[in-house]
Amino acid sequence: MVPKIMKQGRLAPWLYLAPALFIMLVFVIYPAFNTIVLSFMDRTGSQSAATACTAGQPCWGVLENYRYALTNPLMLNALRNNALWLVLMVPGTVAVGLLFALLADRVRYESLAKSIVFMPMAISFIGAGVIWRFVYYIQTSGGPQIGLLNAILVKLGAQPVAFLSGSRINNFALMVVGVWLWAGFCMTILSAAVKGLPGEVLEAARVDGASEWHVFWRVMFPMILPTVIVVTTTMVINVLKIFDIVFVMTGGNFGTEVIANRMFQLIVTDTGKSMAIAVLLILLTIPVLIFNIRRFRAEEAMR
Amino acid sequence: MKKTYKILGAMMMIVLLVTACGPAATTEVATTAPSAVATIEATQPPVETTAPTTAPTTAPTTAPTTAPTTAPTEAPPTPAPTAVGTIDCMGAQSGDQVTVMYQWTGNEESLFNNIMAPFVAACGVKLVANSTRDAAVLDTAVKSTPPDVLFWPTSSPLNLYSSQLKDLTQLGVDPSNYADYWVKMGTVNGTLLMLPAKTDIKTIIWYSPAQFEANGYTVPTSLDELNTLVEQMVANGQVPWAMGFESAAATGWTGSDFIQDLLLALKGPDYVNGIIDGSVPYNDPGVLAAYQMYAKWASDPKYTVGGANGTVNTNFGDALLQPFSDPPQAMMVKQSGFAGGNVAAEYPDLKYGTDYDFFGFPGAQGVQGGADFMFAFNDTAAVKAMLSYITGPVGAANWAATGFAIDPNKQANGKYINPQTAKLAEILANANGFTPDIGDTIPAPFGTAEWTAIINAVQGKDIQTELNTVEAAQMQALGK
Repeated sequence: MVPKIMKQGRLAPWLYLAPALFIMLVFVIYPAFNTIVLSFMDRTGSQSAATACTAGQPCWGVLENYRYALTNPLMLNALRNNALWLVLMVPGTVAVGLLFALLADRVRYESLAKSIVFMPMAISFIGAGVIWRFVYYIQTSGGPQIGLLNAILVKLGAQPVAFLSGSRINNFALMVVGVWLWAGFCMTILSAAVKGLPGEVLEAARVDGASEWHVFWRVMFPMILPTVIVVTTTMVINVLKIFDIVFVMTGGNFGTEVIANRMFQLIVTDTGKSMAIAVLLILLTIPVLIFNIRRFRAEEAMR
Repeated sequence: MKKTYKILGAMMMIVLLVTACGPAATTEVATTAPSAVATIEATQPPVETTAPTTAPTTAPTTAPTTAPTTAPTEAPPTPAPTAVGTIDCMGAQSGDQVTVMYQWTGNEESLFNNIMAPFVAACGVKLVANSTRDAAVLDTAVKSTPPDVLFWPTSSPLNLYSSQLKDLTQLGVDPSNYADYWVKMGTVNGTLLMLPAKTDIKTIIWYSPAQFEANGYTVPTSLDELNTLVEQMVANGQVPWAMGFESAAATGWTGSDFIQDLLLALKGPDYVNGIIDGSVPYNDPGVLAAYQMYAKWASDPKYTVGGANGTVNTNFGDALLQPFSDPPQAMMVKQSGFAGGNVAAEYPDLKYGTDYDFFGFPGAQGVQGGADFMFAFNDTAAVKAMLSYITGPVGAANWAATGFAIDPNKQANGKYINPQTAKLAEILANANGFTPDIGDTIPAPFGTAEWTAIINAVQGKDIQTELNTVEAAQMQALGK
């Protein structure tokens, strides 16, 4: 028999939820709704985007801002760059993180080694961008190379490289910074998963004569796969939103612009287009989020 | 597994925190970076816009705080202005008020007050000032109680409020004290409604007179002479230019100044103003010629320090020091008046006039820069007295002696105390036209499109293709 005082009416749960719902409404639902509305408006956000159309030019009417977001050459370049970031940085961080998780598991200075890899996470992205600008710095006026990488290159007898302004190399140079920043995050979570593996299973595999290579790919990897997927999807979302590194290091110049940079460039001068890009970014992120949540629920159900 | 999720949960919290804090940090940088540009780029006229000052394109909305020529150098102690002539009070009574609106604050505001002090003392007129940088505040004021006199860093009030503005020739103003192009610029339907109160110009090139003398170079006076000089320097194994223009998200603006000066030399001020009003498309052959000339200099290591890589990777603040290092890395740098202050700060032993100096851009038929314009919304006796003071010889002399940038009033010539300001004033006095900064005057997205085109041109992309892109942005921005 539950005491009367502990019985809840229909209202009580809502009262408990009210503060959270209120905050969600004000800070998430309303801004999201407003963003979508503004994405159909012109540059000042005061009239329909269709008014920005010029006669004789292609026009998508009220979806004009989305025409920009999906067909403008600058946007196409940004979308292409984001795709490149996804393809290279997500596997890059996960692979590096996993490698460190496995290796650190076997050394005596595990926590020290892991701390070092994790440390970049403690630096603000802006700070990391500034640091790496110095690493990539190229001295062009004949003095000694003060950028770390170019100093090494010159010492080895090679020519200095313009890492940030050379369009063949700069996107990759930026991704290295991204991997450096995020690998620690992946490592920590994956390391926890590796630690959680039951020792007897691994031992049984080794007793049965499996090589370490086989132990990893046939036993460990399948067991930590759920965690790998969670980390991967989290990284996909992070990389889709990538902004700080590009903004600080190249300002989006030299063909390095990504979606979020384009959004930022337009936010003051052309609200409508900026919001359309924001909506595009949300649309790209949502499937990953849904996948992530489904996966999480399935995991919960299994336990 | 449970432990995994605990850690995972904790990690998620960290990620949430990081992502929550991340954007905040970004905005901070975003807002500070452009304002730094704006302060440095003091001669850029602020863009007429009510938008917040976040995006680099609108950077110059935060108007210059100090005049570039006087601020960084050891500004001579402002002399107490002494009236060198009589001040005509035009019937204003002691105790009359003049309401003024301007964007000046701090040092600039006190310089202005110093200039006005003799007038205030002579006529007993009280100035009631409202300092704002917000065009919306101005707009609200104009619709209810407009200021008697307005000083504004763009000419936009001329078109916005022309029906309310008073004819300056009826307010004791002598237009002959101003060059014809100023009068033409301020005249609407035959009525003079606007004149410049102060200007900053940046159609100049910095060099080392000592180096020029040692090498037997003379200051060029035409674009041809400049070309010859540049080739002569290359033949002597010297690098003529320090072109570095890296400036974070605003990279390229130094190049846009250079190209505008080339346009002023190749085509003249009417052509540049045509670009600004859209009558000259940005992919015009004249613009192409200027870009080709610029790209040749800015991308070849024979002509500029480090070639294209040097131009796009060297910060403009480092580049402007290159002609003054020992040994000099370059012979010349095209930069606004603030460069003198930077050189003085970096090399305190160097002397202005012998070790570093500037000359007007050779062959430029007009100048580019910023200007604060004055307008009158009322024609009271006190307003007449004030405007006749500012536009007359006494006010001009005080303005020049106080050193609040350059007074475009011809009567100010020869009255400057700071030698750099005096030289800038001389360059302005010899100019046949004035153009505001193209990239700052045409609304977004033009400015960033222009910078991108300049970067791409320096990096060897096809210039005509780049200009076509900018032209599209130009026409979009101007609503054509």
